[in-house]
Amino acid sequence: MEYAFVRGIEQFLYREARLLDEGKFQEWLDLFTDDVRYWMPMKTTRDATSSAETTDKELAFFDDRKPTLSLRVKRLTTGMAFAEDPPSRTRRIISNIEIDALSDKEVEVYSNFLVYRTRLESVEDTYVGHRKDVLKEVDGSWKIAQRKMIIEQNVLASNNLSVFF
Amino acid sequence: MLTNEEIRKLVDVETGDVARKIFVDPDVYQQELARIFGRCWLYVGHESQFKNNGDFITTYMGEDPVIVIRDGAGKINVLLNSCRHRGMKVCRKDEGNARSFVCSYHGWSFSNSGELLAVPREEVAYCNGIDKGDLGLLRPAQVDTLHGMIFANWDPDAPSLNEYLGDMKFYLDLMADRMEGGIELIGGVHKWIIDGNWKLAADNFVGDMYHVPVTHGSAVGIGIRKPWGDDGYQISPGNGHGFGGEFGGLAEGEGVATPYTPFIKKVRENLEKDKGDYVSKIVPIGHGTVFPNFSFLDTMRFRTFRVWHPKGPNKMEIQAWCVVDKALPDELKAAVRQQYIFTFGPSGVFEQEDGENWSQCTAAAAGWRGRQDNFNYSMGLGREREASEVLGHDLPGKIGGMWSEINQRAMYRRWRDLMAAESWSDLA
Repeated sequence: MEYAFVRGIEQFLYREARLLDEGKFQEWLDLFTDDVRYWMPMKTTRDATSSAETTDKELAFFDDRKPTLSLRVKRLTTGMAFAEDPPSRTRRIISNIEIDALSDKEVEVYSNFLVYRTRLESVEDTYVGHRKDVLKEVDGSWKIAQRKMIIEQNVLASNNLSVFF
Repeated sequence: MLTNEEIRKLVDVETGDVARKIFVDPDVYQQELARIFGRCWLYVGHESQFKNNGDFITTYMGEDPVIVIRDGAGKINVLLNSCRHRGMKVCRKDEGNARSFVCSYHGWSFSNSGELLAVPREEVAYCNGIDKGDLGLLRPAQVDTLHGMIFANWDPDAPSLNEYLGDMKFYLDLMADRMEGGIELIGGVHKWIIDGNWKLAADNFVGDMYHVPVTHGSAVGIGIRKPWGDDGYQISPGNGHGFGGEFGGLAEGEGVATPYTPFIKKVRENLEKDKGDYVSKIVPIGHGTVFPNFSFLDTMRFRTFRVWHPKGPNKMEIQAWCVVDKALPDELKAAVRQQYIFTFGPSGVFEQEDGENWSQCTAAAAGWRGRQDNFNYSMGLGREREASEVLGHDLPGKIGGMWSEINQRAMYRRWRDLMAAESWSDLA
């Protein structure tokens, strides 16, 4: 894999993270294809022989397609999304990026994330997890066609998930 | 430990004043663990989670960790998840299937019906003198079910589940017994922590429609529901339980139609033929709480069960499930599941706001001056009527308008009476 190709995908993910940290949610939303699935199953503690993640017939922390993901973004502009109004202060660290090329125009990308969220006076949450994205090249730019995210916690240690991953 | 007289001063149901102290005080909290969670019927699971012998989940009764398991004979057992030797949790999984549990500390093993099977080196370590028959996992004094919902109670002197639910059972039937085959839980459970007192959540679900247009106002802003009118109800069937919603079904309206909406309307029509015209007004039955900490939402979009597990005066763990009729077609189950995740649970566009409310209410009530004040539950005082006067059909319970705190007053009355009683017989 060409270094420039790898570098381009890394830059795409870093830029995406910066859009969220800067509160540019509409620009962030435009990075997703119209048929995206934005899915965050949950970690469970089950038998060693069975899946430690909830399946797609079970509950998840997020399970959005573009229409509901768009509504989440629109909600932030209603003036009544109090969980993010006043807004949280966030900083995202994206790392451990690995890329499997499916074709010239489609790649699977693994990454780890650390999302630090603090809000109001001293509320603090740290969400640590990993993602598996499918990126597609559309009109010369990468778009996120699938995103599967996992937060490693079993009992989520924060009072909501009002930020994006 | 507060005296019974001190407790009685904390709740005045005649004025709707409830002392803030009960939401923040460590002594009150310890007393609740004994007198509320040690005495009341607590929801621990649903039979649909136990399809095979050996299937188990782990959960809590108050702060006590319990295993709920279907044993080799097919019977549901509720077992304190704590080895009788040194107290280690004998099961450290959320769910699974097991014939037995072996403690990972010293190796005592227990059957899936709770009996102590074996202790390592029994002959040399205990000289065969240990009475294994007396050292099974501890268990609640009573376990019973309603429509597959499993409840357990530590207190042998507590009234039966049926008596405890009282007239609430009539309304729970309307929520959980609408179709042949009954209800089931969709797999997976949302679990999360809120730094708030558990009663704030139970109180919110028992009777608080008042917060909805404000706290959840963004739902109108994004067009997933119409603005709230004033036409609804709060019903208090007694014993501290309660429920309420909008007439015609919580979240009815064109702004919220989902593929599930025509289905629930059809179910309601059939139920109405069977039971009477009040059904179209109060089914789905809306928000509600079975005292103390089991709550539900039954709406035009979905049903959810949730338990507010106490974790200290200023902390709770929420466990929440999505509930469907077993007979619901698979594609509608999928649609309900997605609608539920979008609107409720920690990322839900409705529920995101609740956590901060409850944590900041608790924090702001905890200061020296603040905790000497009361919360005000006076809404609708003196305007309660018999439910049958408003809805006919000899419906049980008292009713208030959509904006009434009748149910919270009944919940805190029950809380006060239990907290100030030495035993169930003292309460009667």
